[in-house]
Amino acid sequence: MTYTEVDSVEGEAGDFKVTLTKKPRYIIEEKCTGCTTCVEYCPVQYPDQFNQDISQNKAVHIYFAQAIPLVAYIDESCLYLKEKKCLICESVCQADAIDLNQTAEKVEINVGAVILSLGIEPFDPRVREEYRYGEFENVVTSMDYERLLCATGPYEGEILRASDKKHPHKIAWIQCVGSRQVIPGGNSYCSAVCCTYAQKQVILTKDHDADAECTIFHNDIRSYGKDFERYFQRTEELPGMRFIRSYTSIARENPETKNVAVRYSTPDDGVKEEEFDMVVLSVGLNPPADYEKLAEIFGIELESHGFCKINSSNPMETTRPGIFVSGTFQGPTDIPESVFTASAAGAQCGELLDYRRGNLTKERIYPPERDVSQEEPRIGVFVCHCGANIGRIVDVPSAVEYALTLPNVVYAQEQLFSCATNSAQEITDMTKEKGLNRVVVAACSPRTLEPLFRDTVREAGINQYYYDMANIREHNSWVHSKEKEDATQKAKDIIRMSVARASLLEPLQEYDLPVNKAALVVGGGIAGMTCALSIVSQGHEVYLVEKDADLGGTARRIHYTLDGMDVQAHLHDLIEKVYQHPLVHVYTDAKITDAAGYVGNFVTKVESERGITEIEHGAAVIAIGADVYEPTEYLYGEDDRVLTHLELEDHIVREEEKVVKAESLVMIQCVGCRNEERNYCSRICCGVSIKNALKLKEINPDMDIYILFRDMRTYGFSEDYYREAADKGVRFIRYEPEDEPQVEPGESEEGRPVLKVTATDYILGQKLEIDADIIALAAAVIPSAGTKEVAGLFKVTLSPDEFFKEAHAKLKPVEFAADGVYLCGMAQYPKQIPETISQAYGAAGRVLTLLSHDTVVASGSICEVDEKKCMGCGACLSACTYGAIEFREVKKDKKAVVNPVLCKGDGLCNVKCPTGAISLKHFTDEEILSQIDAAAA
Amino acid sequence: METVAPFKEVIDEIKAAGGEIFRLCYQCGKCDSVCPWNRVRTFSMRKIIREATFGLTEIDGEDIWRCTTCGNCVQHCPRGVNQIEIGVSLHRVASEYEVFPASVRSARTARASIISEGNPLQGERKKRAEWAEGLPVKQFAEGMEILYFVGCYFSYDPRMKKVAVATANILNKAGIDFGILGSLENCCGESIRKTGSEELFKRLARENIKTFIENGVKKILVSSPHCYHTFKNEYPEFMVDFEVIHITQYLSELINDGRLEITKAYEKKVTYHDPCYLGRHNDIYEEPRNVLKKIPGLELTEMADSRRDALCCGGGGGRIWMDTPMEERFSDIRLVQANEVGAQVLATSCPYCITNFEESRLNLEYDEVLEIKDITEIIQEVI
Amino acid sequence: MENERVEGSFFNSPADRNFGDVMVVGGGVSGIQASLDLATAGFKVYLVEKAPSIGGHMAQLDKTFPTNDCSM
Ligand SMILES: Cc1cc2nc3c(=O)[nH]c(=O)nc-3n(C[C@H](O)[C@H](O)[C@H](O)COP(=O)(O)OP(=O)(O)OC[C@H]3O[C@@H](n4cnc5c(N)ncnc54)[C@H](O)[C@@H]3O)c2cc1C
Ligand code: SF4
Ligand code: SF4
Ligand code: SF4
Ligand code: SF4
Repeated sequence: MTYTEVDSVEGEAGDFKVTLTKKPRYIIEEKCTGCTTCVEYCPVQYPDQFNQDISQNKAVHIYFAQAIPLVAYIDESCLYLKEKKCLICESVCQADAIDLNQTAEKVEINVGAVILSLGIEPFDPRVREEYRYGEFENVVTSMDYERLLCATGPYEGEILRASDKKHPHKIAWIQCVGSRQVIPGGNSYCSAVCCTYAQKQVILTKDHDADAECTIFHNDIRSYGKDFERYFQRTEELPGMRFIRSYTSIARENPETKNVAVRYSTPDDGVKEEEFDMVVLSVGLNPPADYEKLAEIFGIELESHGFCKINSSNPMETTRPGIFVSGTFQGPTDIPESVFTASAAGAQCGELLDYRRGNLTKERIYPPERDVSQEEPRIGVFVCHCGANIGRIVDVPSAVEYALTLPNVVYAQEQLFSCATNSAQEITDMTKEKGLNRVVVAACSPRTLEPLFRDTVREAGINQYYYDMANIREHNSWVHSKEKEDATQKAKDIIRMSVARASLLEPLQEYDLPVNKAALVVGGGIAGMTCALSIVSQGHEVYLVEKDADLGGTARRIHYTLDGMDVQAHLHDLIEKVYQHPLVHVYTDAKITDAAGYVGNFVTKVESERGITEIEHGAAVIAIGADVYEPTEYLYGEDDRVLTHLELEDHIVREEEKVVKAESLVMIQCVGCRNEERNYCSRICCGVSIKNALKLKEINPDMDIYILFRDMRTYGFSEDYYREAADKGVRFIRYEPEDEPQVEPGESEEGRPVLKVTATDYILGQKLEIDADIIALAAAVIPSAGTKEVAGLFKVTLSPDEFFKEAHAKLKPVEFAADGVYLCGMAQYPKQIPETISQAYGAAGRVLTLLSHDTVVASGSICEVDEKKCMGCGACLSACTYGAIEFREVKKDKKAVVNPVLCKGDGLCNVKCPTGAISLKHFTDEEILSQIDAAAA
Repeated sequence: METVAPFKEVIDEIKAAGGEIFRLCYQCGKCDSVCPWNRVRTFSMRKIIREATFGLTEIDGEDIWRCTTCGNCVQHCPRGVNQIEIGVSLHRVASEYEVFPASVRSARTARASIISEGNPLQGERKKRAEWAEGLPVKQFAEGMEILYFVGCYFSYDPRMKKVAVATANILNKAGIDFGILGSLENCCGESIRKTGSEELFKRLARENIKTFIENGVKKILVSSPHCYHTFKNEYPEFMVDFEVIHITQYLSELINDGRLEITKAYEKKVTYHDPCYLGRHNDIYEEPRNVLKKIPGLELTEMADSRRDALCCGGGGGRIWMDTPMEERFSDIRLVQANEVGAQVLATSCPYCITNFEESRLNLEYDEVLEIKDITEIIQEVI
Repeated sequence: MENERVEGSFFNSPADRNFGDVMVVGGGVSGIQASLDLATAGFKVYLVEKAPSIGGHMAQLDKTFPTNDCSM
């Protein structure tokens, strides 16, 4: 229900009565076809909100090109609504969909649970004059800039300056706008995403204009997420790119050029003033507008910054039972986390409402499939502009014309966004109308959109494998943005190849497989236990396999967190619940010796103190956590005054004299990572050092504590603790990797034996020598020792950092590419306990989307062995990474057989087979050869 | 590169002198980017703070004396560091050791003068009310509507005396029942405190407070933003609470209430300079402008760097008594800015600003180009 | 937003006896994901969005880090 607001939520978990107001769209949704005739005729022009007010829109309009639902609405700028005149739209609408007499409609609904995904509001820089936003024309926010970059944006993907509509060449990004500041109007926390999105914008800017000069002005660079460090380096290495470590002031606007002068400070050259063609403000994230009112409506409490108050041992829980929260309303986070907290909130609803699962939903029904195998191919080609992504480079109309000349093509047309609901509907409609039996969409990569279009074809009553995708974006317009003519030619070639293949496509059937209702969870840390408990609370059995004698994992060595959670108490509670729950079967001292099977039907062998067990399960969750690097740096292992941060924590908790009574303690960050060997940030250690420093200051306020860091990565609300530590007198010294701190034993002035730590201070321009009684190293978090073995067993892959690799960083953060195998906790990447818990619930939520079904559908595009040609050589067996091929005795011979469920259709085996006995359906030799022939034609 | 060790004793001294807020700095460089010094030479408040953090301050150097306490960095610091407090604490430490670089010595003369005569200008105490001779200005007595606390510069400096006279004329014209303290008046102590003379400030404050109480003062009118600031924000440290009003606020009130009537036009293009202690330190931006806007014929224009971003004249924090080389004077830049927007008159309302601007006017040979006026001097001409 | 179509089918109109299992408020990435998961796991979901379209802020972004793929 869009354009709808919640008025009140009464009742309690399991039984809420919700009152909603559906705002009038003044358009009858069922009648509107999204044709936009009314928009053309509407006389009212005003700034388009979706495009950050940069471009103009009409009083009647569609929110944005790919809007869901694709239905127009009329807003308060309408002349009729204001002055009772005009009504032009009513007369032009063919569908009679306009009804200006609509009024707001109250709706009451009853639900068992509520999830708040209220998101964030970008910081509005107008609240601080110093940013000159709205005053200098060429100062834009990063949100404005996103729209400028975008094909559907105000200038159709061209980055232009407001003042003269010219391309800016020299662009500055100013970081932490509205974040990390305790001055009026600002937010004290770090918004956690802007460092990385600014880098993204630089990369995209360089795609638009390879010679652009880009500068990011920042304080710390917070590349704490998975792959962020590499992303940062990729940005840093771009030609003409500068990272300058200084906050800035926007000094003035050049009256002639409208360039913006920025002042910044470097330790060596003092303050400099430099002019830029455009300045982008990297605005932070605010809680949703009206958060106080929202809190009141939903009856929940907020934390001090206006975000939802959550429980760190269950970050999806609000203060009102039955109401859950996901996404950035929990606090500033990026997309992957917003996605898995969503699944996590889903899992919690599942726990609450398991008893009524399935009662209210109905199955989706497709029209019956038309048998077209005997018909001549009748191919329809749909060429997508992708806004300007393709349309700006490739001459789409000429590609359409060309397509019509190809054999078997009976229909072709262009579309602005083929993936938009109306376009997909159009494909379905045209397929039916023109009697098409094969469809080619020339658009982007099949990776993301193939399922959508297959579905579209299916809706038209055609087998979904009668569909082919011609990638003219990634393979063409994006890489040939400079050569428009050649790109158009190439698009035609690609379409021709695709059409050739489409002619030969065969209908394929998908398999329904039964699903075993149990799950296996590997790893009994916080992630594994949390995930297991959530799954069993939704009625499924779980086998929990832990390699140590005890459950708990890394958390056994952690006692407190930055936000004050009592980790041991939480852990005991978890362990107790795990042992008490009748559906959890715990195997400790366990080792997995074999894992076979496939989604819905796994068989795993476990050797444990219970002996050897064979477990059948439908899903597997990998939660084997991570290890801590054993440093070789800074005299670790040679001098017992040098500890890791985990050891330090242990000493603090035991109030070890030599630690808590130390006069001076030095912490060194980034030990063993953010280097060539481990090119990633361990994410947790900056927070951990702050946490320990605060604890030490609490016990012994006179202790001198120094933290030697490269960037303080206290992202999100942790920033408040960074400031608190500074306030308590902890001193921070930044070092550069090429000038690491030096540690050697020595004596203090008073003759006390100490460790002498020497580090350059860039602001002072001097080297500081500090006497330390204790040194604590923020040792890297490294992949768990068993990672490779487990990856091999479950046939899942690893990221370059050798943590487990999720199927898609944003869209599938807790799943593997291998179906039925899920991922959570530090096994995926280092993370804090609340993040681990969220992800564990998230994985449970995803597991339930599988286990709640009795069957799963397996792809039709798989390999098949022609038994007659197979000579049983076994070349294919070793080629298959999914273990999908096995030998079966046929008469006296051994013949290869493909397990259709395990087969992912990657085709590795085909090429190995010396006799050509194996073929990959949907990619048969014939189909491919026809494509190659077409290419050569 | 030199290797140094943190100097614990110095750190403790700075903390004891009230500079402990340095601990909050995360070295972002914002303060340097807004500091007016960096328009004329390199100066890094960030570095001063960093040095203080490790007790490595060059206590006998020039740099710790530069800050004019303009407050621009304070309003921008994302960490809430009060740089001015740190600067003042360093002055306190330096004063304790009695180490002063050459440029600061003249401030020592001002200090000696305050100690002996109650003003930094070496004027005799008994001559404090000389400016009012021949004017209908009474000694303050209990029951009067308001005390006009004149201030040192307006009492002794030949240029500023004109402003005191203008003020008295306006008050009389509006029929205000006011009085002055004459030789009972002491320097308010605001600026000398900034140079590190904490004890002297306390003495001055106590004496002034005593005089106010003994004379039954309730409401105080001041001409100087510095007097305003200390009465309003610092004297309450002594558990007193007087009503304080700056002349620009008072004028705005008198005009709005119809007690003061503007009868003539002033056909000139005027720009207004926000004194740091009126604007940034006390958020008074509108009243002075409102007063000017009430004058028929007067065309008010804004310079670059106005209001919150106003460029400091260079006179705060005791800098007014120190030597600043010609090429390092912010007031020169300010006059150029005024000229750039075509102003004929640069109006303001602070004795230090006017003093510095008049000097720059000479240096820049702007005598034909630009007049420097206190707002009262303009009002005096139009009532 | 690859999943939109799938999800379309789970939006039950309120006329449907006005009984649901879960109401998701906010149609950004997180809200959409939560709705999809719940619907797939056998619950009836109401997705309530105050703007005229779902998508939230992510729909306004051009491409998203760290994979730089299209956010639609
Ligand atoms: C040094 C350090 C300090 C930290 N401090 C904090 C902090 O202050 N605040 C905070 O929020 N977070 C902190 N964290 C993060 C916190 O530890 C994690 O978020 C959380 O414990 C991760 O839980 P997990 O279940 O994913 O991994 P783990 O706790 O590591 O659990 C994984 C479990 O799997 C088991 N296992 C491994 N391999 C196998 C296998 N092949 N088969 C079966 N079982 C296997 C392991 O033995 C272990 O029991 C810290 C982490 C580290 C390393
Ligand atoms: S440090 Fe935090 S607030 Fe600042 S730009 Fe980076 S992510 Fe945003
Ligand atoms: S200490 Fe850890 S969290 Fe901080 S920057 Fe280094 S690796 Fe990242
Ligand atoms: S602005 Fe504040 S935090 Fe930044 S360098 Fe200056 S004093 Fe430090
Ligand atoms: S108060 Fe003004 S002069 Fe002093 S350091 Fe700050 S900006 Fe510079």
